[in-house]
Amino acid sequence: MDRLDALEAQSIYIIREAYYHYKNVALLWSIGKDSTTLAWLTRKAFFGKVPFKALHIDTSYKFPEMYRFRDEYSKKWGFDLVVSRNEEAIAAGMSNEKKLDCCNALKTEGLKQAIAKHGFEALLLGIRRDEHGVRAKERFFSPRNEEFKWNYQDQPPELWDQYKNQAEEKTHIRVHPLLGWTELDIWEYIKRENIPITELYFSKEGKRFRSIGCVPCCSPIESNASNVDEIIYELKHTNTSERAGRAQDKEDTFTMQKLRALGYM
Amino acid sequence: MSTKFMVLSIDGVPYGLMERMFNDGTMPNLAAIAKANRFSAMKSVQPTVSSVAWASYATGVNPGIHSNYGFIDREPGTWGLQFPNNATMTADHIWQKLSAKGKRVFGMNVPSTYPPKPINGVLIGGFLAPNVDKAVFPSNESEYLKSIDYQLDSDAALARQDKRAMLANLDYTLDKRFEALFHYLDREEWDFFHTHVMGSDRINHFLWGKMEDNDPEFAPAFFKFYNRIDNYIGQLLEKIGDDVPLMVFSDHGFCRIKYEVQLSRWMVENGWTKTAAEVRHPLSIDPSGTKAYCLIPGRVFVNVQGREPGGIVSPEDYQSVRYELIKQLMEMKDPEGNQVMDKVIMKEDIYWPEDQPGAAVMNPVKVATHPGPFGRAADLIAVPKDGYDLKLGIAGNEVFVKTELEGMHTYPDAFMVARGIELDEELEITNLAGPIMNKVLS
Repeated sequence: MDRLDALEAQSIYIIREAYYHYKNVALLWSIGKDSTTLAWLTRKAFFGKVPFKALHIDTSYKFPEMYRFRDEYSKKWGFDLVVSRNEEAIAAGMSNEKKLDCCNALKTEGLKQAIAKHGFEALLLGIRRDEHGVRAKERFFSPRNEEFKWNYQDQPPELWDQYKNQAEEKTHIRVHPLLGWTELDIWEYIKRENIPITELYFSKEGKRFRSIGCVPCCSPIESNASNVDEIIYELKHTNTSERAGRAQDKEDTFTMQKLRALGYM
Repeated sequence: MSTKFMVLSIDGVPYGLMERMFNDGTMPNLAAIAKANRFSAMKSVQPTVSSVAWASYATGVNPGIHSNYGFIDREPGTWGLQFPNNATMTADHIWQKLSAKGKRVFGMNVPSTYPPKPINGVLIGGFLAPNVDKAVFPSNESEYLKSIDYQLDSDAALARQDKRAMLANLDYTLDKRFEALFHYLDREEWDFFHTHVMGSDRINHFLWGKMEDNDPEFAPAFFKFYNRIDNYIGQLLEKIGDDVPLMVFSDHGFCRIKYEVQLSRWMVENGWTKTAAEVRHPLSIDPSGTKAYCLIPGRVFVNVQGREPGGIVSPEDYQSVRYELIKQLMEMKDPEGNQVMDKVIMKEDIYWPEDQPGAAVMNPVKVATHPGPFGRAADLIAVPKDGYDLKLGIAGNEVFVKTELEGMHTYPDAFMVARGIELDEELEITNLAGPIMNKVLS
């Protein structure tokens, strides 16, 4: 079994486990490459027909290409799609100057509203451990409490594939089937499976997006990679982080681990 | 080879413990120097943590000038975290200053010296330096250090899991430290030579309670480690002879922990801090609902408009918010009903900007909005009574907790053993750089 087969098998196993353990599951689909890969794997896990809802948290600030892609593939893939918008906050108008407030109101509150409305117990998310330092502390099954708080200092251990999927009431579980994948794994899998992906990732006039979200908070990178093969080549030959501009991530992670061991964090 | 000025610092050893070990024969070599010369208690810094203490020692200036207020800080202008180190320091340290005067200097393992800046000599970082290659100036010195399996720091994570493994690791780290010390000492002539031992702070953090309780296994192990340090001091004294000016000292004292106090949690419970939707780190807060928040240890920040991103407290309300915080902090009680705080200090009483040496006299609106390194200081510094170790724990469930940590830092009782150098009557770690400079340059 090659690396991609092993990752695929593990992810599908986790997706099925989540469905087996929870009555009300949702696939959180942000239309980016990771969650679209997760959507693909979820379809595979259930032989083409996803037996639960797909959830898109719409901040109203996404790229037009993303809305087009969502509508086209939601239909093609037969998703039972829920679009959740925090209409009140959108109407009130959010400003790009207060990024934290904006994300909080549009994404987190939007998600809270959807959970309250639909009673989701478990959410499938496409996050990966290599994205950002703190995500190294994530687990395949990560409980969030009623207030949505994630206590990074108190995570259940997951050893020898004994996933902790039991949680106290009033929490929801975040399930991360892609935790072990790297950015390069995702692209190699996209190539192997020929997974459709929004054109924002491909170079136009010397620039492309390496990760996508809301228009005001995303900036493209310099790149001439205009197809999946070229992106894979580029990733194999660059050292810059996916979240460029955060070059200190790795050393900060080391520092945090040290400080945590001594109780300084 | 001869050295002109020798410093050996031993992190976190209190005056009282040192006195006991002088009397019971644990540290005979240092005891002899202390007896024939000077042995006193010395004040540390606020907040009492090693990064601030060593940054203050090395620069000889107030944190309001050098910018290091703790192991973690706010990234300027954001709610991200920053880890203050030598790169974020806004004052020159003693190795730089002496190098500028043409002196040949050596520093090893002193906290807050990583990442090393270019000097005339050798500087080897310690705690929080990620690897030998990055920790050393000039970089080619890393070859020798790697060849002896030099240890930048002991493994604190190990200490949480296995105390015996921790002890073995502390010994090995200490042995390598002195192996390198003797190598550099023999190699050339130095004007200023400072080596630091961190293991004492670690053993105090993890075994202080067992030492006090005379644990049959770990109390003897505790003193055996200090005896090992003293053996090395004996070898060092023999090498340098009787005439070289010498300072052996610590940066703070220690006492037993009764409770770790999750002060961030307390701030949340009392309505001062609102946490962000997702808590990823100690500054995951929602500024729109936060009047004040804190960082470790006991550093309380008012969320001032125009100073903090999304700040909500106007500079005019700053002083009344501080008074209310002081009142509530002083009223805080542990589960047995005992008072937790000894005092709460206003920042302008202990920190000052470069243009206003000595305690700054400023109106509160100016304090609230002052820019620069002084402006980065916490607005209040909560100083606990002995036994209450102020922590973070913004996402914790309880305010008062107990962990594997048994000892905590104390302010008034670092120690100093000195020979061949005139020092103040009242000692403070921040005031050592001046006399050392004078001596080395004389």
